[in-house]
Amino acid sequence: MKNNDVIVTEGVTKVYSEDSVPVEALRGIDLAIQSGEFTALVGPSGSGKTTFLNIISGLDTPTEGKVWLSGKPLSSMSGNELSDFRRDNIGFIFQGYNLIPVLTVEENVEYIMLLQGVPKAERHRRVVAMLEEVGLAGFADRNPPKLSGGQQQRVAIARAMVSEPAIILADEPTANLDSKTGADLLEMMSRLNGQTGMTFIFSTHEQMVMERAKRLITLKDGQIESDEIKG
Amino acid sequence: MTLKIAFRNILRQKRRTILTALAMIAGFTLSSVFIGWSDGAYSDIIAMFTRNRIGHIQVHLQGYLDKPSLYKTIDNYESIGETIGSVKGVEAWAPRVYAAGLGSVGEKSTAVQIIGIDVAREVVATRFNQKIIAGRGFSMASMHVEREAILGRGLARILSATVDSEIVLVSQGADGSIANDLYTIVGIAESGDETTDRMACYLHIRDAQELLVLAGRVHEIVVIVSNINHVGKIARATESRLDDAALDVAPWQEVAKSFYRAMQADKQGDLIGRIVIMLIVAIGVLNTVLMSVLERTREYGVLKAIGTKPVQIFSLVICEVVIIALGSIVVGALLGILINHLLSIYGITLPQEFTYGGIKFQTMYAEVNARSLIVPGVTVLLSATLVSLFPALKAARIMPAKAMRTH
Repeated sequence: MKNNDVIVTEGVTKVYSEDSVPVEALRGIDLAIQSGEFTALVGPSGSGKTTFLNIISGLDTPTEGKVWLSGKPLSSMSGNELSDFRRDNIGFIFQGYNLIPVLTVEENVEYIMLLQGVPKAERHRRVVAMLEEVGLAGFADRNPPKLSGGQQQRVAIARAMVSEPAIILADEPTANLDSKTGADLLEMMSRLNGQTGMTFIFSTHEQMVMERAKRLITLKDGQIESDEIKG
Repeated sequence: MTLKIAFRNILRQKRRTILTALAMIAGFTLSSVFIGWSDGAYSDIIAMFTRNRIGHIQVHLQGYLDKPSLYKTIDNYESIGETIGSVKGVEAWAPRVYAAGLGSVGEKSTAVQIIGIDVAREVVATRFNQKIIAGRGFSMASMHVEREAILGRGLARILSATVDSEIVLVSQGADGSIANDLYTIVGIAESGDETTDRMACYLHIRDAQELLVLAGRVHEIVVIVSNINHVGKIARATESRLDDAALDVAPWQEVAKSFYRAMQADKQGDLIGRIVIMLIVAIGVLNTVLMSVLERTREYGVLKAIGTKPVQIFSLVICEVVIIALGSIVVGALLGILINHLLSIYGITLPQEFTYGGIKFQTMYAEVNARSLIVPGVTVLLSATLVSLFPALKAARIMPAKAMRTH
């Protein structure tokens, strides 16, 4: 494990046994992702991209293998420690937006900062700036169910990035956006990556994401088929 | 934020919230009316039983209550009575003389209980004059020259006695002599206590003392207090003020032990009512909260994924239930107060009168008291919270990735 490795996996295997036939979603993944990477996980549906993102963020547990986040083994963390770690270090952009429907756009975006204990004025300042950044200025008081899919995804992106976590995990972040909005947001994330050194890991099918990624990891049938670092 | 989310979730699922609240409101109101009604009835019974008959506190010579005897007398009762009267909370006191005897009117004879009363004090203490249903009350003590008697209604019936007829009383004097004398019946009394009324033959206290050769002595001092709820405290204060080991100061609960125990046993019936109400609330709440947690599994998963701690999720579920419970308690309390208030004014008249502790009742009144609000409040809050512990734990233990796969 190198000093600047933020995510390291060793022999990560995941078998879903919920149905009568066990499904092997990941098969012995060994991977190290370094701080500041802009990485895309690609592969066909069912290749294990989302499962891998869930496991490296502690949202799910591997059947076998180990995961280290910033040098700490995930298996040694309690439920509360994991929650705190995710709150302070990881920003999530989910495929299905996953906003809290009873909170307004502003409240959704500021929620993590509230958990972190960021003062109200600072929260407000950052929320306004982030909504401006994702093109949702003026939408602060709206409720998520009243927004379009693209707008909801932008709120999700704002929520993930507003607390400036070290790692952003994004599951198909541009899938529900029109190409221009998708490109703009990708540009913004790329800029943040360059400016702040945030680590971005995307799962994607989108060509434009793959093109911008500095590292391209291809998964197939739960295994790494290729791992390409672009010059 | 937990409160904000909880409030909005409650408003989001209006129909479910209303159903949950209705179960809680119904449980609270039922329990409140049940307690108000039962307490009102018991208060009436206790008031009748004590105020009309035994008083709130009784003072005797030690051992009299366990084994009454003509010879167990209090000697200087006037001065003891004055001391008792000076205790804070004591409203009135009245001395009494008791003896068993034989009463004869014309050809008929029966066993009687001779009760010598200080008319002036008894009128204040136990409203004796209100018990007269035929004839008149006693002449006032200062004027007592006649040998007057007032018979209980049942005794008058047994002896076929009417006002102005004469009764011969035969008993035993404290000096061992045969006590007998002739008295004019001036009135018939009904105390509401059938057992007493079948045997009671009231005399002026001085007539009774003269008959029984008990000059200046009594068997009992009945004490009436201004607030029956403080009877224990006042009894202790009286005992301490009297500071006489020969005297026994007993609150009504000790004087009428079997009556009190029967009443306490009856009150245990409340518990069954409370359990039924807890079940109504529990079933209503468990069902709706479980459904709610199930429907919002994905949301809980998201909240956990972005850093909400399990304990915060747990609090969120509990918080929602507690908010609904508190709202329901307020509505239930208003309803409970209203119904109990109306029942305390109009009461409910039963088709037939019934007897409890020898006292007849027909119309039962409820009362509005703190117990009728606190007990249902605690019951509803506790049962709702207890029942929601399981769904709350379920929500707190959700595995985010699995939760977010649900739809």
